[in-house]
Amino acid sequence: MAAYAQERHTINGIETVVQVAGEGEPLVYLHGAGTVTGFDALLPLAERFKLIVPFHPGFGPSADDPAIDDVHDYRRHYLDLFDELGLQELSLIGHSMGGWIAANFAADHPERVRRLVLVAPLGLKVDEHPTEDLFAIPGPELATYLAADLSVFEGHVPVPPTPEFLADGYREMTSAARVLWARPYDLKLSRWLHRLTMPTLILWGDADRMIPSGQAPAWAELIPGAEVRMLPGVGHLVFDESPEAAEAVAGFVGEELTV
Amino acid sequence: MNVFDDIQFYLFNHHHYIDEPPDSDKYESTWVTYPNANFRPDVAHELYQRWTREMLLAEELGFDAIAVNEHHQTVYSLQPGTTVRAGYLAALTKRVKILVAGIPINLSWPSRVAEEYAMLDVMSGGRMEFGFPLGTGMEYWSNAGQINPTTARDRFRESLGIILKTWTEDGPIRHDGRFYNYRYLNVWPRPMQKPYPKIYIVGSGSKATVDLAADFRAGYSIVFTPIQQQLKAMANFREIAEERGWTVQPDDTIFTVICYVADTDEEAVREARPHIEKFFSWMHRVPNQLLSPPGYVSRDEFLRRAQSAALSEGTKATWDDMVSIGRIICGSPDTVADTLSHWAQEAQCSRMLMVLQHGDMPEWKAVKNMHMFAKEVIPRVRARATGATAPEPAFAGVK
Repeated sequence: MAAYAQERHTINGIETVVQVAGEGEPLVYLHGAGTVTGFDALLPLAERFKLIVPFHPGFGPSADDPAIDDVHDYRRHYLDLFDELGLQELSLIGHSMGGWIAANFAADHPERVRRLVLVAPLGLKVDEHPTEDLFAIPGPELATYLAADLSVFEGHVPVPPTPEFLADGYREMTSAARVLWARPYDLKLSRWLHRLTMPTLILWGDADRMIPSGQAPAWAELIPGAEVRMLPGVGHLVFDESPEAAEAVAGFVGEELTV
Repeated sequence: MNVFDDIQFYLFNHHHYIDEPPDSDKYESTWVTYPNANFRPDVAHELYQRWTREMLLAEELGFDAIAVNEHHQTVYSLQPGTTVRAGYLAALTKRVKILVAGIPINLSWPSRVAEEYAMLDVMSGGRMEFGFPLGTGMEYWSNAGQINPTTARDRFRESLGIILKTWTEDGPIRHDGRFYNYRYLNVWPRPMQKPYPKIYIVGSGSKATVDLAADFRAGYSIVFTPIQQQLKAMANFREIAEERGWTVQPDDTIFTVICYVADTDEEAVREARPHIEKFFSWMHRVPNQLLSPPGYVSRDEFLRRAQSAALSEGTKATWDDMVSIGRIICGSPDTVADTLSHWAQEAQCSRMLMVLQHGDMPEWKAVKNMHMFAKEVIPRVRARATGATAPEPAFAGVK
C-alpha cells in the first residue's frame, strides 16, 4: 500500500503539515476535531487518487494558530492552502468538524469542488438528534463515544495514558474549543446548503454516539440531490472502523472518472 | 524593617453549604452538575447566619482583615455574588479590612465590576482590598457558556486593564478592545482609596497569572496549593517583577494556609482531620474535565499538572500526603507559629490568609480554633517583629 510523504507549507505565517500519497485526481480529506488514530485508514484511496490530508492549524504536527476561532477562518485557511498547492479543482471529504469546514468551503466555492463527501459532519442543529458535548465527556469515556469498535485505538493510545499523550489531546481539544465551545453548530448553515450543487455523498455510521446518524436526513433534505450511505454498526471514526467507508468514497468520487 | 513588622492575618471562610446527603457517594461532583434539587434554603439561611458570626468574631479577635470569594453552582461556596456578601459584612464591621477575592471578572462586565468595587470602597470608608481571580475551570462550565475558556486569559487581561483605567483616568474614556468596546467609560462612584484599593491577582502558581500580576504591578495571592508550590510561585513573581522594573514588597503577596490550632499537635490533628478530609473528599470533589476545560491552561501548564500527582489527584491525596507537602498545618500554638513564621520569612510575605473553618466542622471547633489562633498564634508570630517583646504567657485556651 502507498505511504504518506509529508510536506510543510507556511500559510499566513503558520506552518501547516500536509500528508500526500498516490497519484491522480486530487482528493482532499479534512479531518475532525482530533487526530489520535492517524490517517492510515484512508490510504486505500491513494491507490486511485492523489490523496491529500492536511493537518488543521492546532492539530497534529501543524503549528498552533490561536487567531483561528471561527469555522470560516478554517474555510479561508483552506482557500489559501489549496491556492498554495495549485488545486484549482478537487474532490473534498470532510469528517466531523472537517465536514463542517468542507460544507462551508463548497458552499462558498462550488466551482472548485468536483465532488463532496460529508462523513458524520458537524454543523447542523438537529433538535431530535443533538450532537454530544465533546468537551463534557470525561476523558476515560471519550473512546466509547468515538468508536463502536475500540480496537481502532490499539497502538495509538498508551495504556495507561501518559501525561504527554493527555497534554497533546488537551492541545487539540483547545484548538477545537476555539471554534466549537459556544456551540457545535451554525444556525445559519442550513440557509446556505442549497449552494452544494456538486454531487454530494453523506456517509455515516449508524452507531455514532458523538454525532448521531439521525442527523443525516436533515443534511440530505437541504443539499440538492445528496446521496446518503449508512454503515451499520460503525461509530464516529468511520474510516478506522470500516474498510467499506473508503470503498464507498472511492466508488462515489471515482464514478465519473470511470465513464 | 523585617517581614514581621507589618504582618497581617486575614480570616477567610469558604461559606460551604454543609448538608451532605446520605447517598453522597453516588455524586461524581459537588460542582457544576451537583443537583440543585438538594439545595435547602432553610439550611443555607442558618449557614449564612453562622458564617456571619464567624466573620464578625474575626474583627473582635483582632484579625486584620476578613476575606470573601466567589464560586458558582457548588456546595463548596454559598457566595455566587461576592459583592452582595461583602456589602453585608461591610455594614456590620467597623475596623477590619475586607478582601473581596473576588468576582471572576470574565463572568461580568469590567465596568460593572469597577462600579461595584468602588461602591464597596466608598461605603466601607476605604476598607476594601480586591483579588482578581481568573475563576476556576468550573466557573466556565456553570456560569458562562458563551465565555470561551480558550480566550479566558486574554479577556481577563483586557478586563483588568479597563477596571484600572477607569479607576485612575478621568472619564469619559473611549475603549476599543478585542473583547470590550466602551463609547463612554465613566464609572460612578470611583474608589475612595487612591489611586485605587490594594489589588491582588489570584492564582494557583501558573506562569501566566504570575506574569499578569507582574505586568499590572498588582500583588499576587495564591490559593490553596501545596506550600512549596506557593513559595516557588512567589519567588517567580519576585523575579519577574524585578525584570519588569519594580520590587515586590512583603504586603504584595498573600499565602493561603489551612490551619487548626489546639493545645497539642496530637489534639489539633485529632480534632481537625475528619473535617479537612471532608473538605477535600466532598466540598472539593471535581472531575478533571470540569477542572480543566479546553484552553483554560496552556498545553505546557496542563502537562505540568498532569505530571504532578499532588495536583492532578488532589482530592485523592492521603492525609499524610497533604501534610507532607504542606497544604495543612495543624498543631500546638508553637508548632503553628513556628511554621507560619518560617513560611513568611522564606517567602518574604507579610499577608496570611487563614482558613480556620474546614469542611463540615461544627461551629464550636471553628470558633475555638479562631480563639486559639488569635490569642496564641498571632502574638507568637508578631513577637518576631523588630523590637517586639516576647508574647504574654500562654493563654489557657478555650475548651
